[in-house]
Amino acid sequence: MKKYLGLLLAFFRASAISDLEYRVNIAAKVLTDIIWYAAQLSVFEVLFRQTTAISGWTLETMRVFMGCLFVVDSFYMLVLQENLDRFSDRVRKGDLDLLLAKPINSQFMMSFQKFSTPYVINIAITTSYLIYALTKVPDFNWWRLLFLIITIPAGLAITYGMRFFFSASALIFTRAENINYVWWQFYKLGTRPDAVYPFWLRYAILTIVPVGFIASVPARLLLEEPSPWLIVGAFSLSALSIYASMRFWRFALRFYSSASS
Amino acid sequence: MAVLSQLEYRFNLFTDAVLQPFLTGVIEVTLWAAILASTATGTLAGFSRESYLAYALWSAFFARTSANWMYEFRMIEEIDSGSVNSVLARPISFYEYYLGQFMGYKILTTALSFVVPVIILSFWPTISHLSRLPLALFVTFVYLVFVLTLSFAISSLAFFFNRVHSLTMAKNIALWVLTGELFPLDLVPEPYRNVLIHLPFANGVYIPVGYLTGRFDHTLVLQGLVSTVIGTAVVGAISFSLWNAGRRRYSGSGA
Repeated sequence: MKKYLGLLLAFFRASAISDLEYRVNIAAKVLTDIIWYAAQLSVFEVLFRQTTAISGWTLETMRVFMGCLFVVDSFYMLVLQENLDRFSDRVRKGDLDLLLAKPINSQFMMSFQKFSTPYVINIAITTSYLIYALTKVPDFNWWRLLFLIITIPAGLAITYGMRFFFSASALIFTRAENINYVWWQFYKLGTRPDAVYPFWLRYAILTIVPVGFIASVPARLLLEEPSPWLIVGAFSLSALSIYASMRFWRFALRFYSSASS
Repeated sequence: MAVLSQLEYRFNLFTDAVLQPFLTGVIEVTLWAAILASTATGTLAGFSRESYLAYALWSAFFARTSANWMYEFRMIEEIDSGSVNSVLARPISFYEYYLGQFMGYKILTTALSFVVPVIILSFWPTISHLSRLPLALFVTFVYLVFVLTLSFAISSLAFFFNRVHSLTMAKNIALWVLTGELFPLDLVPEPYRNVLIHLPFANGVYIPVGYLTGRFDHTLVLQGLVSTVIGTAVVGAISFSLWNAGRRRYSGSGA
């Protein structure tokens, strides 16, 4: 464990040095995500001009939901996005060969080797936005923020497990860049509060494809009477996601044949 | 050539042309159904529930057709890695080469993916004027020339900067809103609504889908075609200047 934490620290340091080489790129990455946040917010800001509530969510609570989504997303962008985006390429170009030969878990290397350090700025922005959104909720109990200690890492772990499944399928299909877009469609289900979906879909996003744990569950724990089932669900599904990703990685490696010359 | 290369990876093509827009359509239709259920009158900005559901379904497919991620990344990669040398030596320009590839790919994906909404509509009749589909698709294909020209401008920046992929992301995310993919542009408050509808970006989703679902008649479509042509000319002039300036300072070495 100590070795892996040390490695994470070393990866972060190396990534920061490499990112600082391209300073315009840092600004571009931060700006891109701000545009994404603005685009997502614009949907609800526009819709709430036409109605006062959508499936029980008001503009104030919807902002909290979006804040939770953005915080999880910014952590995901910092730690995982670049690694999982390059997955297919690294498999095709034979980079995986080198990683398999190292005395380190290959899944760990493929998933965490490159941090996108510019997104540290985004974490500050999204956290500020979430706090701003919470200040607009009448009588908000600030102690409930402690739930985020569980739900944000759980949301991140679930996102990782699912995204890893799609990325690692590159080992089976060789060229499967577009399957990552399918992941994006599932992820999109999690970018809206679970209450807007019909019962069957709501059930699905809290169990089979648990994208509801990315933002809906954290937001509900902040805004509603906390349900112990949601906390248990967040714990167990995040553990299950990580475990399933490890099993799938071992399975997918059986299909891998060296690609380097 | 583009068609053949896409057919080589059929699973990739299936996810791109069919699965992805289908899932988007399902999500968007569900979201709009929930939104409309929350309104007392069942209408938003004067349009009915059916109108929004039809918009949500079609917009997923038009948005997929009018977007350019893959070819823009490839164009940037060619310049970044220096493999543009092989294209420069050909008797066809970089722009023409990619325009041909891009259009071939889009014709194939459109032919495949538009089967899905047509099938859905045969089981679930909603507000869609299928007789308007050819003109709506024509608008989209004219818009595709504009989109590729925009990609040409961004990829030309790779001569000057090392990493311009982020610009592709930023541009495509901005296009979600500007094209009307995220929500119909008629929900935007004035005066922004009027500005957005008259920009060439609206021809990506809002104008063809709005026309197909009966939100407006052909007057706005013609206006949209004019704005796309003007937009293409403006972006074209900028991108060819960038390309020529970039090529002057570029020295190709190796493959």
